[in-house]
Amino acid sequence: MPQTTFDVFRYQPDTSDEAYRQKYELEHGTDLTLLDAILRLQNEQDGTLAVRYSCRSAICGSCACRADGKTVLACMTQVEDLKDQNGGQPVRVDPIGNFKPIKDLVVDMEPFWNKFKSVKPYLIPDGDAPERERIVSKEAMQKIYNESKCVLCAACYSECNSLAADPEFVGPAAFAWGFRFAGDERDGQRSQRAKLYSGEHGIWDCTRCMYCNERCPKGVDPRDAIEKLGGIAFQEGIALRDAGGRHAKAFLISLRTGGKLNETLLVPLTQPIKSQFDIPFALKMISKGKAPSPIPHKVKKLDEVKRIIKNVKETI
Amino acid sequence: MARKFAYYPGCVAEFSSKELNSTTKALAPMLDIDLLPMPAATCCGAGDVAEAKPNLYLTLNVRILSQAEEMGCDIMTICNVCTLNLRRANKLVKEDPRLLESVNEELVKAGARPYEGTKEVTHLLWYIATEEGLSMLERQGPKGLNGLRVAPYYGCQLLRPSSVMGFEDPDQPQSMERLIVALGGEVADYEAKSKCCGFPILLARENTALKESHAALSQARDAGADCMVTPCPLCHLAMDAYQRKAEAANGEVYNMPVLHLPQLLGLALGLDHKVMDFKRHMVSMDPVLSVVGGEPALAGRA
Repeated sequence: MPQTTFDVFRYQPDTSDEAYRQKYELEHGTDLTLLDAILRLQNEQDGTLAVRYSCRSAICGSCACRADGKTVLACMTQVEDLKDQNGGQPVRVDPIGNFKPIKDLVVDMEPFWNKFKSVKPYLIPDGDAPERERIVSKEAMQKIYNESKCVLCAACYSECNSLAADPEFVGPAAFAWGFRFAGDERDGQRSQRAKLYSGEHGIWDCTRCMYCNERCPKGVDPRDAIEKLGGIAFQEGIALRDAGGRHAKAFLISLRTGGKLNETLLVPLTQPIKSQFDIPFALKMISKGKAPSPIPHKVKKLDEVKRIIKNVKETI
Repeated sequence: MARKFAYYPGCVAEFSSKELNSTTKALAPMLDIDLLPMPAATCCGAGDVAEAKPNLYLTLNVRILSQAEEMGCDIMTICNVCTLNLRRANKLVKEDPRLLESVNEELVKAGARPYEGTKEVTHLLWYIATEEGLSMLERQGPKGLNGLRVAPYYGCQLLRPSSVMGFEDPDQPQSMERLIVALGGEVADYEAKSKCCGFPILLARENTALKESHAALSQARDAGADCMVTPCPLCHLAMDAYQRKAEAANGEVYNMPVLHLPQLLGLALGLDHKVMDFKRHMVSMDPVLSVVGGEPALAGRA
């Protein structure tokens, strides 16, 4: 019968302000989920061990935690798989990252729910309610299918690098829900949503670390949702209000005028005012040859590129 | 016979980080590869075009893939971001014939060649960090890194999402570690090696980005690294060109020389220092060269 050592993050604020680690040994059968292991430790060895869970079936999203540093849903992770991956070492169990622990594996989710609510995660149709239900085509639902799968487990927040650097960042799951409604043909708030999501700590703050896509246990791909919200901001004509949107615009201008990125235009186009005050840094960059000629470098067959830019229609 | 690749250095290596391009080209014969130019290839859009106009991103990247197909070669890149953008487009159209058909309609309408979906995109690191690649390096009889303590910095987009990248475990990458050891260096290990450098938002959200680069720079320093090495020129800009800004913003001193991956190979294989053009770095390479040997770079502390 397999035996596993669990090296668990403990935080019991009633008895100590200091977090510590505790090791537990468990004998178990070959198919045991991490959540079942934690519940057995709680029931058989240590009733003070705190964990949040509900459905045990990867639907409710309550039991996200970190196993060997990687955020997972405890209920859909096999202990034997973790040991295969870590070479039979003790399995390290920690609460999800980027949140304040309340007790052991339980974290304070309030900032998450506040951010979730801030994106207005519900349908806001235009006009009066129709007499019958609104019929949506399969194709239209397909556009928001991925985002509809989110179970709000916050695995995507746990290792979000933007959130680690900026705790106010609205974050991946909230924006996945944002796109789920902004992209819904029944919703009447596409433009207002684009404005709402483009504010400070909004979509343009995403650093594209791709951890959210990597960690999501449901295949939501929140980064892709953020990307699509950027596209909607462009379609709605509000992208250029933010430095992030202007940064993207600089790429579009570069492609049209030469085909390659015109790096020297990127700074003044993104930050037209701030860049004026950063002359010493600009001079250093120039002295190291890191400010290439602003004259566009033209790729061969640029006419093809120009025709593509002119013809291709967006379908977000 | 040298293996041919359609060479896609990406915009940054062609312009602001030319030293990466010149080093890679000079290294190619030593690695038994032939890097063929792609004169009609555009920028991959770096995630920005995908964020503004996703269909345009896809069409332009498939156009690049089609050019490689016409040349009869797979693509080799030297940039994390180019690798992700090209591979993502390739995966999207290879998995969805209807999507490929509609992208091809646009390409043909614009006078460009349609794509048949037959090519792959690889990064120089992935080519060299295989058993075959490492044994090829051995055949070159490397002068070696003389125990240089190197902190590998992967960044994000060569690892994640693994469904698109897939070369190695994104949580425990080992390709650069294998390479460093094979070249006679020591690995300085640290947790933030696969976290974000902040570059994609460096211009739009400088404060946030400089906190991100701080994590890797401070941890590499604390791990006793003589230098950092990265497979991505954008990570290089964030870690090298913006290092003094990160020091000022975070109230710390890192003094961390940052090498492009091909420069690390070049140092170990005895490539001419002029080609590697260390003077274009913001942070002096002298501490590295004092270990590996060779004439000190002209660059002083910025």
